[in-house]
Amino acid sequence: MKRRFWMSTAAASALLVLNSAPASAETSDKPITVVLAIELDSLDPCDTQPAQNANVVRGNVFESLTHVSPVDGKVAPLLAESWTQTSDLVWEFKLKNGVKFHDGTDFNAAAAAANIMRTQVGPEFPGLACLNSGQLPDPVKAEAVDGLTLRVTTTKVDPILPLRLSYVDIGDLASQTKPEKVLNPIGTGPYKFVSRTQGESVKLTRFDGYWGTAPQVKDVTYIVRKEATVRASMIETGEAQIALSIQAQDATDDERTVTFKDNRIFIMRPMTFKEPFKDPRVRQALSHAIDRDTIVPAILGITGAPYYQMLGPQVNAYIPGYDDKAPKYDPEKAKELIAAAKADGHAVDTPFEIVTRPDILPDGGELVQAIAQNLREVGLKANIKSVENTAWREFLRQPFPDEQPPTLQMISHDNTSGDASFSFPKYITCKGLNSAICSPAIDKLIAEAETSSGDKRTELYRKAAETLYKEGGMIGIAEQIRLIMLGEGVHYTPNPLSGLEIRIADVRLDD
Amino acid sequence: MLTFIGRRLISGLITLLGVVVVVFFLSRLTGSPIDLFFPEGAEPAQIEAFNRAYGLDKPVLHQFGIFLGNVVQGDFGTSIWQQRPAMQAALSEMPMTLVLASIAMTIAVLVALVLGSLAAVYRFRTVDRVVTLLSLATSSMPHFWFALVGILIFAVQLRFLPTSGSNSWQSWILPVATVSIGPIGVLTQVVRGAMIDTLSSGYIRNARARGFTGARIVYRHALRNAALPIISVAGDIAAGMVNGAVIVSVVFAFPGIGRLIVGAILNRDYPVLEASVVVVGVSIILLNLLIDIVCSIVDPRIRLT
Repeated sequence: MKRRFWMSTAAASALLVLNSAPASAETSDKPITVVLAIELDSLDPCDTQPAQNANVVRGNVFESLTHVSPVDGKVAPLLAESWTQTSDLVWEFKLKNGVKFHDGTDFNAAAAAANIMRTQVGPEFPGLACLNSGQLPDPVKAEAVDGLTLRVTTTKVDPILPLRLSYVDIGDLASQTKPEKVLNPIGTGPYKFVSRTQGESVKLTRFDGYWGTAPQVKDVTYIVRKEATVRASMIETGEAQIALSIQAQDATDDERTVTFKDNRIFIMRPMTFKEPFKDPRVRQALSHAIDRDTIVPAILGITGAPYYQMLGPQVNAYIPGYDDKAPKYDPEKAKELIAAAKADGHAVDTPFEIVTRPDILPDGGELVQAIAQNLREVGLKANIKSVENTAWREFLRQPFPDEQPPTLQMISHDNTSGDASFSFPKYITCKGLNSAICSPAIDKLIAEAETSSGDKRTELYRKAAETLYKEGGMIGIAEQIRLIMLGEGVHYTPNPLSGLEIRIADVRLDD
Repeated sequence: MLTFIGRRLISGLITLLGVVVVVFFLSRLTGSPIDLFFPEGAEPAQIEAFNRAYGLDKPVLHQFGIFLGNVVQGDFGTSIWQQRPAMQAALSEMPMTLVLASIAMTIAVLVALVLGSLAAVYRFRTVDRVVTLLSLATSSMPHFWFALVGILIFAVQLRFLPTSGSNSWQSWILPVATVSIGPIGVLTQVVRGAMIDTLSSGYIRNARARGFTGARIVYRHALRNAALPIISVAGDIAAGMVNGAVIVSVVFAFPGIGRLIVGAILNRDYPVLEASVVVVGVSIILLNLLIDIVCSIVDPRIRLT
């Protein structure tokens, strides 16, 4: 079923790409307003990792050397035309000719190299903080060989460097030599920055010198409305043409509400270092205790589907057919497992906190309450602790001090890259910052996968995933389905990347 | 009068010093901005450089000393989040809050005077019961709910008003209504109570005996003497309107100091949080002073000594 969805999404995206051919593009002077749920906090190309920043600038103002194709999830050229791995540690990228920045300067290898170096925030950029720096976990050296040839040298073998570079957005050379944050972004994308009024709006306009197909929409204004009902209402009244993060209860049942899956999974992470979760049987019992088939459709409606794995269907660690053998709802089995663990001396009566946050997903509060109720029904002492984002993150990250109570951390995790290396090392290895499990077997498989490529990489990640699920280290609850509302006469086909990147160039308006 | 104002200003400054101390330490209890500005697993050297740039590398008491020295000069530092002077950010948002609160307060007072007086004059009759019911309903109605229902009725169904924003005069109607709805209910009850006391006093009976009409007695003789408790409660409500402004900023994206404070807390932007709280504190201190002065004008028996 999930595969079928991906195929249909891919087909729709392919149609969209075909429809975007130059011959069919007719420009329009109609402006559009996009209403977002969260205000962007940075216009710097090195801060495009959070969705609130990416939604505005990625694919619109900034572009990267490579990108993940919405059609098949593979790495495809964007500002780079091609690349080759000349040795274990060295890659050469041939860059597209004739690309201009919005200020009229040429895009070249020097600009690309400067962006890669600044994103890593070396000592030459004192005081600079870049949210994209985590995308290059091991230092790389980038240098221009000639005008359009870029050489990137890694410190260890990295078969997915081209994929990693899809997260490095490219700004103009002048901005990339300074440690100050970029306030007036200049990129190569189809839209150039016009203005930002903090707390109110960001305005973009069509870049006439764009190297690709000219977009149809001319002017775009981004505004923020925190209330989902208000965002949906703005579409109804015509005040906005695209509204993101719509809740199921505000959705219309016509083509104005479009859905997409972006590999975002709602998962539970038991703290395996502390009771009552030290015994894997108790962790398995967690999965058996939760009646996903009832609570997920009842509470999330069209915005969620029951799910058992940690990563989405298009990530290479996804195990096809796993649902058939997953620990499904069986409260009696859950009670048996807990009783067996108790008989072996485990303190299964230890109270624990289900740590969540109000904005974890639409209607997430109700879902967590239902999960807590399911867990209490099998005899576990679950309490809910709903905290704001920063406090939630403190519970998420290592170290876990002794005085911290045992936790069952609710996580909404997405992986749009398609590669488990963007999730597993951080979440399930012994040294992973967000990991609450330590299994030498999993660490070994992941370490081996990181230096492998192709089918072998996929196989190793799947083995790691299987071990993880057997250990009960991460428990999938629901696959999230996201909603976008469109105004009358506005056409946009979302794709698995739409959670991060809404390319206004892909928006079509009726005459 | 001048002695009174001077004395109140000095006590206001002491209060303000307390506010500065509390906001400095409380803001640091929210945690470090590092978690928000750096990705997971950032290099310690990067974090050290960031802390150095914003003076967060020193012990908290040392930071407080530097902070106090700068505050005396009106310098609250640069916003980590907005990258502009923190005081500039606070002062740019405050006028909208003041205008919104002034309009909402004026409407609330006028409506409450009319409804409260009517209820007092027609005590225990149908008008009184209807006004009492309405005032209790509006004073207990959650602002948030009222705002969303207002949008659904007036923007989505009737299309009379925009859903949100602040671009036209129409976009002020729902935010003003949201901020004033609670105060209307509370003040109506206060006016009713004060007017009932006053209308039953001897000099009002005397005025009636001399042949003065109902409206003249109510608005010229009774209201003036009932004004003191109304002004005091209205002052308290006005000071609390920052809370209403927060709801309005979240639902209607209406600019103002409430939105700035919420954003500063969520982004751990200490300089903006400190500057905003101080600006609000100064406003409230000045408002209280103004209320004392108005009370002395309304009732000259009150001596400002």
